Parts: sequence; C-alpha cells; structure tokens
Amino acid sequence: MDPARRILPLILVWPLLAVGAAAPAGPDRAWSALADNRPQDVLRQLRRDADSRADRLAWAAARIGAQPATDANMREAEAVLAELESGTDELAAEAAYLRARIYQLHLNEPDFAQAAQLFAELARRRPESHWAQLGLVKLGLLKLYLLPDLTDPGSDRLAAAEALLPRIHEPLLRRDLELQIGQAGIVLHQPQARFLPHLIAAAQTGGITGTAREDLIVQIGVLSERAGDWARAREYFERYLAEYPTNVRAFTIRKKLGEVSHRLAQEGGA
Amino acid sequence: MRRLRAKLGLVLLAVAYVSALYWVLTRSEPVIHSREVTIYFAHWQIERGPPDGINAAIKRYEELNPRVHVVQLQIPGATIYPQWMRSNLAGETGPDLMEWGAWLPGQKDIPARYFAPLTAELAKPNPYNRGTSQEKIPWQDTFHDKLLAPKRDSPDPGQIYGVNITESTLRLFCNVELMKEILGRVVVPKNFDDLRKILAQVQDFSRRTGRTVHGLAGSRDTTRAVAQSVFVAPLLGVNQRLDDGGTLYLYNRQVLAAYLAGRWRYSEPAVRAGLQLVRETTNAMKPGFIQLRRDDAMIEFLRGQALFFFYGTWDATSLRRLASFKIQPMKLMQAMPDDPEVGRYVLGQGGEGIGETSLAMYLNKASRHPAEALDFLKFLTSVPGQQLFTDASLWLPAVNGAVVPEEIRNFRDYQEGISFGQAPYDMIGTEVSMNWDRNFYLLSGENGSAEKFAAAMDAAMPAAIREDLNAELRATLVLVKPQDPVIVGWAGLTGDKARIRREESEAAQTMSEGLALQMKLQLAQAK
Repeated sequence: MDPARRILPLILVWPLLAVGAAAPAGPDRAWSALADNRPQDVLRQLRRDADSRADRLAWAAARIGAQPATDANMREAEAVLAELESGTDELAAEAAYLRARIYQLHLNEPDFAQAAQLFAELARRRPESHWAQLGLVKLGLLKLYLLPDLTDPGSDRLAAAEALLPRIHEPLLRRDLELQIGQAGIVLHQPQARFLPHLIAAAQTGGITGTAREDLIVQIGVLSERAGDWARAREYFERYLAEYPTNVRAFTIRKKLGEVSHRLAQEGGA
Repeated sequence: MRRLRAKLGLVLLAVAYVSALYWVLTRSEPVIHSREVTIYFAHWQIERGPPDGINAAIKRYEELNPRVHVVQLQIPGATIYPQWMRSNLAGETGPDLMEWGAWLPGQKDIPARYFAPLTAELAKPNPYNRGTSQEKIPWQDTFHDKLLAPKRDSPDPGQIYGVNITESTLRLFCNVELMKEILGRVVVPKNFDDLRKILAQVQDFSRRTGRTVHGLAGSRDTTRAVAQSVFVAPLLGVNQRLDDGGTLYLYNRQVLAAYLAGRWRYSEPAVRAGLQLVRETTNAMKPGFIQLRRDDAMIEFLRGQALFFFYGTWDATSLRRLASFKIQPMKLMQAMPDDPEVGRYVLGQGGEGIGETSLAMYLNKASRHPAEALDFLKFLTSVPGQQLFTDASLWLPAVNGAVVPEEIRNFRDYQEGISFGQAPYDMIGTEVSMNWDRNFYLLSGENGSAEKFAAAMDAAMPAAIREDLNAELRATLVLVKPQDPVIVGWAGLTGDKARIRREESEAAQTMSEGLALQMKLQLAQAK
C-alpha cells in the first residue's frame, strides 16, 4: 500500500484524537455535568457499578435527576445509595441524605415518615456532617407541613421544627430553617410572637437574595408595627427605604415610617 | 459558423461569470463566517421602535467584539411566540437569549425548566458600565426598579432569572384635535370621575353629530389593561385584609389561596365596586370589542374614531409614527375616596410605583455560547447600550444613567400612592383568566352588570382556582426536584465558586420547597 494512503486516515482521525485528549476527564467532569443540570451526560459517562465510590454516588444522583423520573429508576438509585451509605466517609453521609430525599420528594407517592426516619438516623450517626445538617432543615419542613398529618389542627408544628434548631450548627442552614418556621407561622395562623423572632433571626444572619430578602425586611417592619414595637418597625422601614428607595412599596413604607416615628416621639423614644 | 458559435459560447460564459460574481457579492452567505460565534436573541416586540433600538446596540457590540455576531429574531407574539418558544426549548434548538413573560398562558414552568439563573452575575458590576455613573454598582442595582418583575415572577424566591431591556407603563393616549372638537379644549383628567365625565361627553357628541366616535378604542387586549388599572382602587382594602404576612405585596398564590379559604369573593361589595368601574370604562368602547385585538383598537384610534387609546407606552413609538394628529399621553387616574360611585371603598390614592422595567430576556440553559450571550446581555443593559437602545427606539431605558429622550420624558411621571404590586384579581392564573374572558359579556353592554358577572365568576372560581393553584404548585416542584443532583454536583467540585453556588442552591431549594408545601397545605385545608 502507498505510504501516503496509509497516513491519510491518521491525518483525518488526528483532530478527533486531539479533541478527545483535551476534554476534561476524571470525576470533575461528572460533578460539573450534575451542577449544570445535565444528568443524562453523567449516565452516559459513568456505570452504575463504577470502581470509585464517588463515581457511584454521581451516577445515583444523576439517576435521580434524569428523565423519566419513574419509581423504578428511583429504586435503582436507592440501591446504590444504600450500599454507599454503609461507609464512614462524607460520601456515606451524602448518600444517606440523598436516600432520604428520594422518599421525601422523588417517589411518585412520597413516604414522608420514612424520609423523616432516615434524616433522623443520619443526624444521630453523623451530627456534624453537612449532609446531616442539611437533612435537619428538610426534616424541619416535614414537621412543619406534613407530619404527622396535614389536617391535624392540634399538633404544634412550629414547636417540632424549633426543637431541631439547636442541632443545626451551620449558620446558613440554621437561617434557612428559621425562615421556614417564620413563614409557616404566618400560613398556619400562629400568634405573631411565635414566629416573628424566627424571621428576625433569619434576617440577622443575612445572605438571603432575590425577592425573599425584600419581602423579609418589609415583613419584619410591618409585623413589628402591628405588635406595637415601634423602634423595630422604624429600624426595618428605614433599612428598606435605604436599600429599595424606588420600589413600588416605598410610598406605603414612607407613610408607615412617618407614623411609627410619630408614635416613638410621643412615647419619648425617638 | 464555428467562429460565431465559439463567440456566443464565450459571451454566455462571460454573462454567467458576471451573474455568479454579482450573486456571490450581493446575495449569498459566506461559506466561512468571519465571526467565530453567533448568538441568537429572540423577542416578540415587533412594534415600531425596539427592533431599531436592539439593532443599534448590536451594531456597537459587534464593533467591540469582532468574534461575535448577534442575530435578532423577531417572532410575532400572542399566539405564535409561546408555541415557537416551547417547541424550540424542548428540542434544545432555542435561541441563546429569549424573551419570556409570566402572563403567557400555560408557560409558567419555562424559567425553571429551561433558563439559567443570573443571580450571581447580577451581584457583580456590569463591566460595560466602566466610566459611567453606574460603574462599580452591582448590575442588579443599576436597573431603575432593581428588577422588580423578574424577582416577582421568579419561580424561585431566592433567584433572579431575567433582566429587563426597557421600562413601561400604561397611559391614555389622547387624540388632541378630537378632544378640542368635542370638549372645546384639552382636559387632562385628574381623577376617575373626570374621566367618567369626559367619556359621557364623547357619547353625547356622537349622538348629537351622528359621527361614530367612542371614548376608548376597544379590544380584548386593551380591555385587560383598562380593567387592571381601574379595578384596583376599591380593592386596596381587600388587599390589606389578605396580607397576613405583612409584605405589602400580594403574589398570585396568595390571592388564589385566600379565595379557596373563603376570604374574598367577586360578589363582595368592594370587588363589585371595582367591577363597576371596569364596566363603566368598557361601555365607552364600541360593541363587539371583546372579539378584537390590540391592532384593531390602534386602527380605530388612528382613524379618529376613538378619543383615547389606552395601552402601554410600548405603543407610543408606533402611534407617534403612524398618527396624522397630535397625541398627548395622559395618566388613567384611579378612583379616589371622594368618588361619587365607589369612593366609600377606596382607602386612598392608588400608586403606579415608579413604573416597572420590562421586556425580560432570559439565558437559555442549553445555549451553545452562554458566556457570549451573557456578555451581550450585559452590554445591552449597560448605560452605553441602553442609550443606543432608547435613542433609536424611543422606548424608555431600563437602567439608571441613560439619558431619556425629550419626546418620552413624561412617561416617567408616575403617580405615587398605595400599591400592593400586581394583586391581579383577574389574571391570577390561566383558568381564572379564561373564565374572566368567557364571562366578560355578562359585565359589559346594555344587558351586563357587575352582579351578573360576579355571580358567574364565583360559580366558576373554586374549580378554576384549584386548577391554577395546582399549576403553581407543579411549577414550583419542577424547580425543586432537579436541585438535589445539582447540589450534589456543586458539592463535588472544589473552590469558592462551587461552595457559594452550593450554598445558594441549598437556600433557594429550601425556600421553593417551603412555598410548595404552603400551597399543598392550602389546597388540603380547602377540601
């Protein structure tokens, strides 16, 4: 065969080989695909029985996120997570967290009681793990709205979630549960004194973005005004106007600020 | 003979060559594009103005970025755009940047499924603002309203998905010459009662002269805008009553849940008073208006057959370029506490806020060139980009620092007053909106009444609202579920960026999950 004809296929194939060599490799590729919400790419890239525990975890997470989100696929992911959960590293805690999330959110008929039990077990076994801490926030949501029964008016839902707070040491996660307890207090028509401190605690931690932040500052101002706490109302109204002077709510808040300032002046607290 | 044939052949060859040369130089696309990256920017603002403004910004952007080519896709709105958007997004063939609106029926799930959040980028200064008054200011804070609507319409309360290109409000566009002919002078209504009197005089003029002139140009689209503007004044008290959380703002889900809990009804006096105002204004439109669209109303106004055309300032450029008469934009003032008909239900002056920025553009998650698309979006919403846009389109800029052209300066003369945001009792969801349109004939016209319409709405609402609240719940869950693998992905990556994105995703997911659970609870309690 003519040497030139032998080399030709190599010349044609070379760019493909070069591209392949330049592509990102290793577990980062799978994590990046997951972070970018491309679970199908991970499933194409990894095997369920991959050698590395990290790869198996990434595969299971992708199985949870990929379509079709059938119960059979969730069970398949759960089997891998249950095997990973038996380890002692952070991946084991992560696997336990994801397993509980399958029961809480991803099954067609969620099993909230089972999810709560798995979150509680994880928090008992690995209390300082980030995944156990995040699990306590999700357990808080279950207790606020779903357990033991949505229609049970007698249960003190706020108290059940409040009991979890001392166990959450990560400030941002604790803030998230504080905020959820505060908002649940409003929806569950609880006395203001029961939920307002949680909203204040969440605002004090900070870092809340989007409309949630705006709403929270207004809320604390207005609810404080309703409770007759003029000083706090003024503090939050002033804060709102400093941060959002042109917002559609600013007119009403300026009016309210005038009213609470007047009250404070009357009471000698200005 | 042979020589003649040879000559003819040469002539034909020369003609073919010249024709081919002409075609290649003037008509054909280059085989190899001179720019490496092409990004597509799709919107439905095909009125006069925006395409020119966007083209002006594209031209400058391409000068600054020689490797990027930006293609503006103008897709007709209303019926075509939503289907076009949905099918392209599902097939991963969508443009890099797309317009979206929360009011598009049946499209609520789009941002959560297909668009990338811009929250982290919005927290940083826009590099194209270097050397302007907005330098060093976080991108989000450079917008005149700090992106009120993209925050409100976000399926996820902790994230912002879109940025706005312009600012708009609703105005009564008045045919000045016709007003002088009817009223003898130009009368600017200072409250709703003034408008009521003007509309009565137009009716009287038409009767006396036999000329077909209506107070308001009529169509289904403009009716929506009129209704939203006049309906709200008597509802301020209802809004206050429903605002349990003290946010001074009501979201659709709150209005829906409050109806299910029996906390307001269309037939209650304050809501009926609002409906009465809607009836009064739509009775100034021509019969059959509900079958007509915005363009029909515009034609009616341009023909001098209606004194006012009420719609957004987004139509001002078209009106200005097409009308043969002088047009004066006026505010449609809300009813006040001294209104003779509905004043007892009105708490005070209703406000327009400071106007909302609009024409929201979103970054397609499946974009092949997300960095370049985001960069163009930054240029378009920078002070220099917005100046080009506003000068060429005569649409208001969305950001601070751009000089508003003299012709449109009064669009920013907003009415201050009480506002609960949208608090839309007519468009709280797809099913509710459909029922509103379906029953509107019971409100307007000789045989209509606020009572008949309210009764029909109250009969239809429980099922419609349940459907809409369920749709809100589903849209929220669409956002919550995929976040679990996303969080795992960020946790697997190292570095500050990954840590921050993980923390943001965790916080946002918990907030959205909380909202979904609130809706679930409200649906369960109302069974």
